[in-house]
This record gives sequence, C-alpha cells and structure tokens, in this order.
Amino acid sequence: MPVEISLDTICLPSSDIVAREIEGEIIIVPVVSGIGDMEDELFSLNETGKTIWDKLDGKKKLGDVVIELKKEFNDPGGEIEKDVIGLVSELLKRKILVEIRC
Amino acid sequence: MLKDDKERLLSETVFTEVLQAFLQKEIPFRFKAAGQSMSPFIKDGDQLTVSSLSNKSPRFGDVVVCIHPESKKLIIHRLIGKKSSSYMIKGDNTYGKYDLIPGKNILGKVSKVERNGRRVFFGAGFERILIAFLNRSDFHLRILLPTWQRLRPYIKRSES
Repeated sequence: MPVEISLDTICLPSSDIVAREIEGEIIIVPVVSGIGDMEDELFSLNETGKTIWDKLDGKKKLGDVVIELKKEFNDPGGEIEKDVIGLVSELLKRKILVEIRC
Repeated sequence: MLKDDKERLLSETVFTEVLQAFLQKEIPFRFKAAGQSMSPFIKDGDQLTVSSLSNKSPRFGDVVVCIHPESKKLIIHRLIGKKSSSYMIKGDNTYGKYDLIPGKNILGKVSKVERNGRRVFFGAGFERILIAFLNRSDFHLRILLPTWQRLRPYIKRSES
C-alpha cells in the first residue's frame, strides 16, 4: 500500500528496530516478536540517508527537515525535498519509521 | 540511500556491533554458531539466542559471549573462574589454556540453543557448575569423552 506523506508529516524511528551507526552508515535491524534474528532483514543507510535519518526525531516536520538540509547543503536542482520524501516514504513502508499524528 | 543489505552481517565488525546494539537494549539476538570449540553442547550451525546480562555479573558455568581483548574476535565459551577483575573462559571442547576476559568485554550469555528446529540442552542450569569444573581440569576431555566414545557403539548395539 502506498504511503502518503507531506511536508507536515512528523516521523520517528520505530521501537521495533535497532539502529546503530557503523563505519559511517546507519545499520537497521528489525525486532520481530521481541527478538533480533540474523536470518531476518538488515538495512543500511548511506551518508545521505544518515544525514536525513539523524534529523527524524519525532518533533520536526519533514518541511523543517528540508529547510535545515537546504541551509547545510547546496540544492540548486531541488533534490533535497525529493530525497527526504522518497526516503521517508520507503522507511514508513518498511515500518522502520512511524508517523506521529498530532 | 536505503539498501537491503543482509550480507553486511557477514562482516564480523558489523555483526559484533549489531549484537552489542541489541544487548545494550536488552533485546535477545539469534544467530548461527560457527566452530566446534563448545561441542558437544553447542555444535557448528546451531541456532543460538544470546541475552543481555541485565547489569548482573555472569555466573560460574555460564556460556558467555565476549570480545577477546587482544584479537578483538567474538567468542562464545564457558566461564570457568575469576582472576582478579577478569573472567576465565574456555571452550568445552578445548584443551589446556583458558582466556582472561575483562568484565566489560562480556556482552551477554547464551540463553537458548536450537538444533534442527528443536531446543537442545547445553548445560545452563545447575549442571553448569559441574561442567565448568570438568572443563577447568580438562577431565571431561581426557577421561569422559574418550570413555563415552569407546562405549557408545556397545550402548547403541544393546539399545537396538
């Protein structure tokens, strides 16, 4: 099912995952039935993904995340917003992030 | 940006970090054992569940998961004693020398062993004390296992 999000969406990492920064990347392992399993999935976020991930604190709207990133990085082609929306949609779909509803 | 990256767990560094992350959150972690140093209780390919020590000290005879202070490798051996502030650990299937591991290097302990989908006994109850004593003296390797191996064909024959 497609996940609908907007710049007003607020997200934070799910309590059903364990995430750790390893060798400059974020490694994410799901917790299934209260246990981690080497046979289950494992995801990694590259440096760009990590930059976005670090800002998803359950308080900021995605719009604020985009504004912060635009201050930190050049964005002549307007890629930042697309990257944030794309990554967050994917993480919500995989239940790595949860949406906070106000 | 997001990659389904299961192969990364094959890297020992990543695996150790992931295991530590789980145990720090007191969430058990399940994985496949590699090696024969804990045979016959834990065999190559067994599924192990490792749990956090929950800020308690490991007990004599526990099968602990730790990082070796020199090689930095992850090892799973039995705790057979204490020397000043370090713990003596040794595989149930290894002769002679034990390793000394500082308490901070012990990540957790094995809480469950499964083989072919079934839970197996690995000496984690009160019997762990006896196993640890035998392990420390190598008595089980010098006397018990060779005797068992010699007797086994006769026992099997009489069972059939």
